[in-house]
Amino acid sequence: MNEEELVEYFRAQMRKDPDMASAVAAIRTLLEFLKRDKGETILGLRESLTSATDCLTGVDSSVAVSSGGELFLRFISLTSLEHQDLSRCKKVMEERGELFLEKISMSRAKVAKLCHTFIKDGAKILTHSYSRVVLRVLEKAAAEKKRFSVYVTESQPDAAGRQMAEALRKLNVPVTVVLDAAVGYVLEKVDLVIVGAEGVVESGGIINKIGTYQMAVCSKAHNKPFYVVAESFKFVRLYPLNQQDVPDKFKYKADTLKTVQNLSEEHPMIDYTPPSLITLLFTDLGVLTPSAVSDELIKLYL
Amino acid sequence: LVVENEATMPGSDKETDLTERIEAFLSDLKRGGSGTGPLRGSAETARETTALLRRITAQARWSSAGDLMEIIRKEGRRMTAAQPSETTVGNMIRRVLKIIREEYARSRGSSEETDQQESLHKLLTSGGLSEENFRQHFAALKANVIEAINELLTELEGTTDNIAMQALEHIHSNEVIMTIGRSRTVEAFLKDAARKRKFHVIVAECAPFCQGHEMATSLSKAGIETTVITDAAIFAVMSRVNKVIIGTQTVLANGGLRAVNGTHTLALAAKHHSTPLIVCAPMFKLSPQFPNEEDTFHKFVSPHEVLPFTEGEILSKVNVHCPVFDYVPPELITLFISNIGGHAPSYIYRLMSELYHPEDHEL
Repeated sequence: MNEEELVEYFRAQMRKDPDMASAVAAIRTLLEFLKRDKGETILGLRESLTSATDCLTGVDSSVAVSSGGELFLRFISLTSLEHQDLSRCKKVMEERGELFLEKISMSRAKVAKLCHTFIKDGAKILTHSYSRVVLRVLEKAAAEKKRFSVYVTESQPDAAGRQMAEALRKLNVPVTVVLDAAVGYVLEKVDLVIVGAEGVVESGGIINKIGTYQMAVCSKAHNKPFYVVAESFKFVRLYPLNQQDVPDKFKYKADTLKTVQNLSEEHPMIDYTPPSLITLLFTDLGVLTPSAVSDELIKLYL
Repeated sequence: LVVENEATMPGSDKETDLTERIEAFLSDLKRGGSGTGPLRGSAETARETTALLRRITAQARWSSAGDLMEIIRKEGRRMTAAQPSETTVGNMIRRVLKIIREEYARSRGSSEETDQQESLHKLLTSGGLSEENFRQHFAALKANVIEAINELLTELEGTTDNIAMQALEHIHSNEVIMTIGRSRTVEAFLKDAARKRKFHVIVAECAPFCQGHEMATSLSKAGIETTVITDAAIFAVMSRVNKVIIGTQTVLANGGLRAVNGTHTLALAAKHHSTPLIVCAPMFKLSPQFPNEEDTFHKFVSPHEVLPFTEGEILSKVNVHCPVFDYVPPELITLFISNIGGHAPSYIYRLMSELYHPEDHEL
């Protein structure tokens, strides 16, 4: 499977199911790559998978694709340790890969099940930009006959917040779109803040659409709980100490990275929210406090 | 558990006896929640629950671990429904369920590394969506489970002493310690330190039940210089206090507390003056609940303690509430002292994963 086929397959997966997380599409693509791979050695397989992952991050530079790729590589290493023979190994990998995909397709439902109990009747919720996981949580809460209203930030530069508002209107949830600058203004009316995450870092902090950090700081100042909902495959082995520490390859869109010379003139698309501002994280591994995240990552990578 | 109809079958005496004990325990729990202070301390409740669970394991009819777990879960649901605010009952049930899972795994020979907790690692390496259904029968399982429950009971008996033993590390001479209400654990803690150190204790009376008065009497009998203050004076006196040591009813999964009313005020005053807040709580008080379930979180008792019924005229014009508990968020707590040592509030998640299995969080 060469580069163009890879990219085409990835794009096709994203088109086929717009509701699917980009990390899941990446893992699906890599699994397909694995099936079609004609290599003879495990080392060769690892190398070709690494270059395939790089290729995919060239298409979609988000943290999620990168973490999905890393997870898949880890999966390959763990499986190859058990079976030395390549063909047997590949068989096991393919089976387990399918199983893994099946499990993570259920992760959003698990997150929604855990989180909806924290939304009380009559609650006013603030959220940021368009997140499919948050949408799922709110769907579940609405299905449980809870009455709540939602404020969504517009989330420039791509106005993704409007997409979220549309989706919520279809669920008959009263929703108001607010300016990104109006977060401080609206927070006194709000009971809780729920956001998604593109990546969850080792410290327990999150990487998400630009404007999330601002929202977290304001929630802390107003003493409102700040909840993050994310699936476990978004856990990534990064430890940024501040905003500048986040690698450039995640901050800007893939096209921007390729074409633009001087990145300092571009607007970053994501920011980092430190764990001290987060109250709880809802994942398919359970409800975690930010300090519990590093434990989970250690269990995987040790 | 089968009831009256089988009076003619052998072994049914044991069962009716068991049922009677369970019913007696349930009615005790229901009565115990009248709020004039705990009629029984949490430690006694924990011990009685565990003893009852041991009896159920010994006397009820079950053939596989799955059956036993089902029986215990069913009884557990009834017990927690009888008195939702008494969380130690639920905690002990979850401990016993975890014991059963561990003994079952040990009998099957699988190492304890195949830990049933969800993790990223498990997601990647497991070979199948097979559910562990605990249906295999092992002859030695009953004896093993009962032995493990006995170990749990021994642990429960030693908790207050274990906590009190750590007192000398935390209390120094000439310190001023503040506490609120009456906690048997804190009482033992302070008395143990008083054997070797001289210090001063300020007790907030904790209206309307004023358990602080009993605490002060008990402490002064042990030779500790004690002062009683009203709840309103907490902030005023806080600047002179070196440490705040409190007990709690429950420790929640996020590291927060459900403690006697007035504790949140105390915690905020301590934070304002940067005074360390130490919570003495044995492990059986750790509960996998989060503070979101508003309905079951608070308990309200008869408001006549706040505004007596004799104030006839205004009663119809005024709403009176008498809540028993307070929520204290984890940011305000400095240290937890438990029978296994001292921990930061951010470490609670780890202790929880060691004590309880995630599937048992919902009984």
